[in-house]
Amino acid sequence: MSLQSSFIQIFISHIKREFLINFRSLVDVTSITSFMILIVTLFVLGIGPFEEKLRLISNGIFWIGLILAIIPSLEKTLQRDYENGWLDQAITSPTPMELVLLSKSLAYWLIVIIPLLISLPLFIILLNINLKLIPWLLISILVGGLSISLIGIIGSALTLGAKRGNILLPILIIPLIIPISIFGIGISEAVRINETPLDNLFLLIGFTLIYMVISPFISAFLIRIAISR
Amino acid sequence: MFDWLANPNRFNRITEKIQPCILFITIITLISGLYFGLFDSPKDYQQGDAVRIMYVHVPSAWLASFLYFSLAISCVFYLVWKHPLADLVSSSIAPIGALFSVLTLVTGSLWGKPMWGTWWVWDARLTSMLVLFFFYLGYILLSNAFERKIDGSKTASVLAIVGLINLPIVKFSVDWWHTLHQPASIIKIGGPSIDDKMLLPLILMIFALSFFSLYMIILNVKTKLIEKKCEALLLKSNLEEISKTG
Repeated sequence: MSLQSSFIQIFISHIKREFLINFRSLVDVTSITSFMILIVTLFVLGIGPFEEKLRLISNGIFWIGLILAIIPSLEKTLQRDYENGWLDQAITSPTPMELVLLSKSLAYWLIVIIPLLISLPLFIILLNINLKLIPWLLISILVGGLSISLIGIIGSALTLGAKRGNILLPILIIPLIIPISIFGIGISEAVRINETPLDNLFLLIGFTLIYMVISPFISAFLIRIAISR
Repeated sequence: MFDWLANPNRFNRITEKIQPCILFITIITLISGLYFGLFDSPKDYQQGDAVRIMYVHVPSAWLASFLYFSLAISCVFYLVWKHPLADLVSSSIAPIGALFSVLTLVTGSLWGKPMWGTWWVWDARLTSMLVLFFFYLGYILLSNAFERKIDGSKTASVLAIVGLINLPIVKFSVDWWHTLHQPASIIKIGGPSIDDKMLLPLILMIFALSFFSLYMIILNVKTKLIEKKCEALLLKSNLEEISKTG
């Protein structure tokens, strides 16, 4: 019981720390959302303002915007802690590194998802998303965002200390993210053509659960390699 | 068995003997496979002579996936048992596997032009082969991205293993995506009813390309071993010079 409660305490304290660092200024909070709005704008400019066309591909645009907006901020999630020596301290502490990383990826998920949820109505208006899609879109962002941040931690750990890590990271991460985007877009796509979205949703949840188990172990292994340099 | 092979000198000695055999088998199967494939096999009743692209396309597709699997296995050997030779093997496999996946995409595209009317169709298999290519590319880029070679090898090995877990999921999800988006508009190639006369060159070509890539991998590993030996010798002579002058 005491072990369990101490684990939860560790968990909460790490999430608190990440929130403190990331929500310190308004710029950090709004950067992901504003970047996403700009990506959506670029897409609409490239396709043309035709409403029928946009209705067909708005789900895809929304998801591509989401993924592209998350990737640049992924790189610094571990890089900063690596550079200022926090990771060295974390690895010598009695807390298992895997737990630290799991709480880090959950914190990252919350940090990305909260501004997006707040600005979701804006995207619904911008992309003319059908109202019956909204609950499914919400669920798919929540679950998909979690798996993107779990994979992102792996990518961030892979490029720790690498030359040109910021260019390398998208090349490594996007192939891993492909299944998430397929299932995530599939959810809203199935609703749009009046089919059941549950198959895609369950697959997305299953995929997220797999990564929830393996991601902390893989990234902890990578961080141990990076620290031992 | 791998423990036993992991000694570089023993590896050199054994491959010295089997390399000519592999080369011989490669040449024999390649020539006979190409002959049967190009001259002595029937035309497809629908596709005509274009079906002969299959004798390069299918073996390279098979090898691209198989080589990724062996890449990841040798990465496991490197990470678990820390054999330096395993790292050399996986870094030798990577460019060859990447080459075969490019070859698959190119021949598939050449085949697609007369069959489907376009160079590229977002077919499920094409898409997953493209993703496989990017896994190879990621491995190669990451293993060269660190200042010390050993860091790159370790990190890239982890990536290869993650890719091995992820590839079946990618394959499945792309199939899933494909069935969601398009009904089966593309002719199923090959199928269960393949003529014996077509099967023979296909099998011969699979053998030829497999032995060819085995030969190239061994050659690559040997080159890297010599490179390492040169580096060690250079280091040694530098040290001697320093100790003489100082």
